[in-house]
Amino acid sequence: MTAIFKKEMRTYFNTLTGYAFLGFFVLITGYFFVSQNVAAYNADYSNTLVGTMIMFLILVPVLTMRLFAEEARQKTDQLLYTSPLKVTDIVVGKFLAAICLFLIGIAITMIFPYILSIYGEINVKGLVGVVIGYFLMGSCLISVGLFVSVLTDNQIVAAAGTFAALFLLLMMDSIATNAPITRIPSLIFVAVIIFVILAVLYNSTKSLSGTLLIGIVCYILLAAAFIFIPSLFDSTIIRVLGWLSVLNRFENFYMGVFGLSDVIYYLTFAAAFLYLTVNIIEKRRWS
Amino acid sequence: MIEVKNLTKVYGQHRAVDNISFTVNDGEILGFLGPNGAGKTTTMNMMTGFISSTSGTVTINGHDILDDPIEAKKQLGYLPDVPPVYGDMRVDEYLEFVCDIKRVKKSQRAAMLDDITKTVGISEVRSRIVKNLSKGYRQRVGLAQAMVGYPSVLILDEPTVGLDPKQIIEMREVIKRLGERHTILLSSHILSEVSAVCDRVMIINNGKIVASDTTENLEEGADENVQLIRIKGDVLTALDIIRGCEGVNSADTEPCEEKGCTQIRVYAQRDNDVRADIVRGLTEKGIDVLMLKSGALTLEDVFMKVINGEYDAPDIKENKATDVSDMVEAADMGAFTIGDGTSEEADRDASDESEDNVQ
Repeated sequence: MTAIFKKEMRTYFNTLTGYAFLGFFVLITGYFFVSQNVAAYNADYSNTLVGTMIMFLILVPVLTMRLFAEEARQKTDQLLYTSPLKVTDIVVGKFLAAICLFLIGIAITMIFPYILSIYGEINVKGLVGVVIGYFLMGSCLISVGLFVSVLTDNQIVAAAGTFAALFLLLMMDSIATNAPITRIPSLIFVAVIIFVILAVLYNSTKSLSGTLLIGIVCYILLAAAFIFIPSLFDSTIIRVLGWLSVLNRFENFYMGVFGLSDVIYYLTFAAAFLYLTVNIIEKRRWS
Repeated sequence: MIEVKNLTKVYGQHRAVDNISFTVNDGEILGFLGPNGAGKTTTMNMMTGFISSTSGTVTINGHDILDDPIEAKKQLGYLPDVPPVYGDMRVDEYLEFVCDIKRVKKSQRAAMLDDITKTVGISEVRSRIVKNLSKGYRQRVGLAQAMVGYPSVLILDEPTVGLDPKQIIEMREVIKRLGERHTILLSSHILSEVSAVCDRVMIINNGKIVASDTTENLEEGADENVQLIRIKGDVLTALDIIRGCEGVNSADTEPCEEKGCTQIRVYAQRDNDVRADIVRGLTEKGIDVLMLKSGALTLEDVFMKVINGEYDAPDIKENKATDVSDMVEAADMGAFTIGDGTSEEADRDASDESEDNVQ
């Protein structure tokens, strides 16, 4: 794991990627700092951080697009997968390198709240919470980028795919507000989700009878729930999407609520995408 | 020691590798020979654990590559068909990284890298960036990578591809030297390379092993020999006469550099000297014989015969697939297999390549 981590860090700084990422990160954060804090005589840096989140759409792909796509293109994946390394080590090593660079970016921009603290009072505790949330959310988006990168051997495709995926993820709240709130669409929505889960289950276990059994049980339960507690299906889509939303979770940090469930949500989210990445690699080699 | 048992890889309907078994003994250099698309790279990718097999097992020094991958891979050095080098690293950085992933102890690294870079001849480019190196040097860096950690088994997929003639000779020397310390499996479609370097040769075609023996046995074991005859006169008559001689198995024309002449390649039974009969027959019909040159069957001839399916090898046993003498017997008895369309295509490729390379 450390070998991969070291190599990725070295590559970031051997090529322009690392400098470009850090440069843009600091530049954009600096722009928001000037316009929202300095020019507006405002000491609330947390608000500034929220504003900068839009740059994740561009910067996360920069960070993750080459991680696996480039290995596949120059066939160095053959070296990695035939060396005595576990696939998990490779994936986690790359992920850690990406979030490490992200962390360096955050560390540099901490100079802005420091400047504010010289001239005024800032809410340090609140800010620490927001920065942790900011870091966790960024890490989740990086895990998505890593996952997209393993799907292709073309960096540009990886970058575009990551952009699209992150766009959907960050827009989830506004998509949710337009979702139908009546019960029938909610039922269909839940049924589709169950189907997708079953498909994934079948794909990983290859057991048709087992999957069918679980599927039948799930759908009977769903039907029962729909008949006996129909109120469960009032605006389900909005509630589910809202629960899944990466931004919603961040809101809690921003409000000054440091909830364990939110931290666990982010960690699970990132772990799930790392797990998917490992699975894709294994699957490809076993097909 | 490498043991491969009943290895098979199926892609959809296509059997890329079909139930092959062989053993590479300690300290042996085994050549893996076959036309493009015969399944060499797929086999090697399965042996190194890069892809899984559909069925069958690969054991490296007693460790199964799928059940015990970490231990098995520690014994392995692999040079894939494209050297797996990072363009933006310096050679030293790259080899250092390979040391990292192969968990070479820090204390041994300096000496090991000095030794390896000297062996493959890249000492003078160690501080250069890999993408600025020529293809030959990149290939050598790839080889150096495979040697890091001194694995007991080296698997090299076409190590001399893309090198210039001088580099090819150097690379062969390097591999021969490596053979003193390592067990090597080397794939190639270049016959001269295999006969120059390898102790034993295995010929694979359409995913199956069709022959396996020492190079000498393959070349000498055939109880056939070759005569090259250069004539001036009517070619068809000449061919008729030659084919009519007792002991001649086949005769065909081949390109001739001398103008107005035709060269004929005659395959005849070894214990039956056909030269006198042929010359007499030709001169009687007024055809001038300008040259007569005899030679043993080359590896190229064996290869072509095997690939063309002129030898039928019904029971290929592990390690020692088929004696060439057996194959010749089979051929004599008329047990010919006729290749289908795909194999003919592969044949054409193979003949193009071997003609290019064997001279």
